Amino acid sequence: MKRRSFVALPATAALAAPKYKTLTEAEAAIVIALTEAIIPADKDPGAKEAGVVQFIDTQLAGPLKRYRPRYRRELPIIDEACRAATGKPLALLQLSERTAFLEQVDKGEIAGGPFFQLIVDHTMQGFYGAPKHGGNRDAASWKMMGIEKAMGYHGGHR
Amino acid sequence: MRLDPVDAVVIGAGAGGGVVAKELAGAGFRVALLERGRLQKYSETGHDELRSQRTTVLGNAFGPDDERHLRLVRLGDDNEFRETLPSEGSYGNVAACVGGGTFSFGAMAWRFLEKDFRMRSTYGAPEGSTLEDWPIAYADLEPFYSKAEWEIGVSGKAGANPFEPPRSKPYPMPALPYSKEGSVLLTAAQRLQWHPFPIPMLINSVAYRGRPGCIRCPHCVGFACESHSKSSTAVTVIPEAVKTGLCDLRTECVAKEILTDGRGNASAVAYFQGSELREQPCRFVVVSASATESPRLLLNSKSRLHARGLGNNSDWVGRNLQGHAYSGAYGLFPQDLFDGLGPAACIAVCDFNHGNPGLRGGARMANEFIRLPYLFARSVRPPGAPRWGLAHKQFQRDRYKRCAGIKGPVQEMPVFTNRVEVEENRKDHWGIPVAKITGKRHPHDIEIGRFIAGRAAQWLEEAGAEQVWTTVAGKGSTGGQHQAGTCRMGNDPKTSVVDRTCRVHQTDNVYVVDGSVHVTNGGFNPALTILATAYWASHHIVSQQRKAQA
Repeated sequence: MKRRSFVALPATAALAAPKYKTLTEAEAAIVIALTEAIIPADKDPGAKEAGVVQFIDTQLAGPLKRYRPRYRRELPIIDEACRAATGKPLALLQLSERTAFLEQVDKGEIAGGPFFQLIVDHTMQGFYGAPKHGGNRDAASWKMMGIEKAMGYHGGHR
Repeated sequence: MRLDPVDAVVIGAGAGGGVVAKELAGAGFRVALLERGRLQKYSETGHDELRSQRTTVLGNAFGPDDERHLRLVRLGDDNEFRETLPSEGSYGNVAACVGGGTFSFGAMAWRFLEKDFRMRSTYGAPEGSTLEDWPIAYADLEPFYSKAEWEIGVSGKAGANPFEPPRSKPYPMPALPYSKEGSVLLTAAQRLQWHPFPIPMLINSVAYRGRPGCIRCPHCVGFACESHSKSSTAVTVIPEAVKTGLCDLRTECVAKEILTDGRGNASAVAYFQGSELREQPCRFVVVSASATESPRLLLNSKSRLHARGLGNNSDWVGRNLQGHAYSGAYGLFPQDLFDGLGPAACIAVCDFNHGNPGLRGGARMANEFIRLPYLFARSVRPPGAPRWGLAHKQFQRDRYKRCAGIKGPVQEMPVFTNRVEVEENRKDHWGIPVAKITGKRHPHDIEIGRFIAGRAAQWLEEAGAEQVWTTVAGKGSTGGQHQAGTCRMGNDPKTSVVDRTCRVHQTDNVYVVDGSVHVTNGGFNPALTILATAYWASHHIVSQQRKAQA
C-alpha cells in the first residue's frame, strides 16, 4: 500500500490541474489568512471552511478581474507590513494576533486600509453569495443564519 | 440603411414605452419599439443576490453591460468628472431590458397624492430650488391610474389609506397578506394612532389576466419574477402590443439621434442594430428611455432649429434631475420577525407625506423588502458595530431574523443645476456622446430625511425594538433608480420641456413619456405614476396624431 501511494503521488501531482485560476499558492495563502480573520470559524464554519479563497480566485478570473492587478500588487505589501509589525507573515500568525494586526490596518494605523476593506467586501460576497460562485460551500452561511430553505438551497451544488 | 416608414418610433421598452406602444398599436398605429437591452427570461438570472438589480457586484443582471456603456459623474463642487460604469452605484442605472426597471423592480404601486402635484402652491419654493406645480392635477391622472391598476395588475385594499385622494375604482386584486413583521408593525402603528395599510403592489395576489398569483418567494426586489406574478410591462402591455401585429419590438437597438425636417419636427430615428446604423422614418417619436437617457438623446439630436439639442432652446433639457432621499431606521427585536416570505415589504403609512411642521413634503413610510445576506452584512449594522471578525459573524447569525427596517423615499426639491448633459469628447461603444451627470441634494431634503428617520425610529420602538438606529440620506448625487424630472412638464416653454400632454414644446411630433416629465417626484416609488402618465400621454398622442394624419 505504502509503496503504491509513494509511486502514485508524483504522477497525480503532475497531472493535477493547478489549484487556483489566478492566484499563486503564495498569494492564496495570504488571502486565506486574511479571509479567515475576517470571518473566523466558531461553532459554524468561517470563510476558510466555506472556500472564500475559491470565490475570490474564481471571480478574479471573471467579473472581478479589474481587481487582479491590485491583488497582485498589494498582497505582498500587506504581508510584508505584517512581518514588519509582528515579525511573522500573516499565514504564520495566530488568529488572535492576526486580528489585532488587521484591526490596526483597518483603523489606518498601519498602511493598507483600503485594500483590506476591499478584501472584507469580497469576503462578504464569497461567504454570503450563492455557492455557485465558488464560496459559501454547502451553503454554510445560509445554514448558520437558518435561511437555507428560504434561499432555495436543497443541498448539492447550486 | 433606410427602413420602410412606420407611424411611430417608441424608444425604450420600459414602463412608459411599454404602455405607449400598446396604446398606439391598439389604436391602429404601426409602431417600432426600440429597446437597447434584450428580452430576458427568469432562468437567465435566477435568484442570484450578487448579480441582481440591487447588488451588482458580479455584474448587472438586467443590463446595460459595463463593456459598452459609461457615464461621467461630477465628483464634488469643482468641475471634475469621473467615469462610471453601469455596475457602479454612481452610474444611476435603471436596467436595460424589455420591461426596463419594471422587470426587476420591487413593484410598489403608489398613486401620488393631490399635494404632490401642487408642491409650489402648497409650500412655496425654498431658496435654490425650482419647486413647481405640475400643469396637471391628480384628478386629471386619476382615470389613468385606475387604467394602469386594472390593465397591468395591482393588488391592494381600496379605502385603507385615509390620505389617498378619491379613486374611481377599487383595486382589481386583494392586497397581499401581512408578513410576521408586518403584523407586529401594524399594531404598533395603530397604537401610535397612525393609519397603517397594506402596500399596493404591481404583483398578482391571485391569478389575474392569465398570470398566476405570487408564490411568496423571498427574492423580489432586484430580481426577475419566477412566476410572472410581478406585473412588469415585459409580461403585460408589451406582449399585448406585439400581439396586435402592429408593434415591432426590436431589441438590442440603440438610438443615436432623432432626425428632424426643415420645420424642426421629427422625421426619423437613427439607431444602431449591432454595429449597423439604421434610419427609421416615422410620423412621430416617443422617447421613453429614462430620466438620464431621454435627455441624453434629445441633447444628442441637434439640428439647425434645435442647435442646442431637440427641445432645448430654453436650456431646460436635462435640468432638475431628482431621485429620492431615502431615509429611515432599523430596529433589533427580541423575537424572530423573519418568515422568509416575499415580497416582505407589506405595510405603510402616509401620515407623514405632507403636513410636517416646517417641512415641504415628506415620504410614505414602509417596511423594507427582504434584505438578502450580503446586503444585510454590508448595510445593516448599528453605528460603530464591527464590520468583520467574530462580532460581525455573531450579529449576522443572531440578528438577521430579528431585524426590521422602515424607510421612506423622501421627495426631493428640484434643483436647476442638478442635471444631465452630454460630453461631446467622450463617446460610448457606438460613438454616441455619453451622459454627464451633476447632482447634489438640496439641504432641505436632508432636513426632511431626518424627520422621516425619526418617525421610522418611533414606529420601531413602539413595535418593541430593543435597539434602534436611523439612516439619513446624504448630500451626495441624486437620480438613481427613481430618477426623474429632466424633461419637465409645463405650460411655459421657457421653463419646461414638454407640455401637459408630454409633447416637446415647439415640435408637433416628439414626445417624452417616462419619469423625465415629473415636475416633482412624490414621496413615493414612481412606477405607477410613470405608467399612469403614459396612459394619459397615449390618450393625447392618439388624438393629436390622428388629427395630424387626417
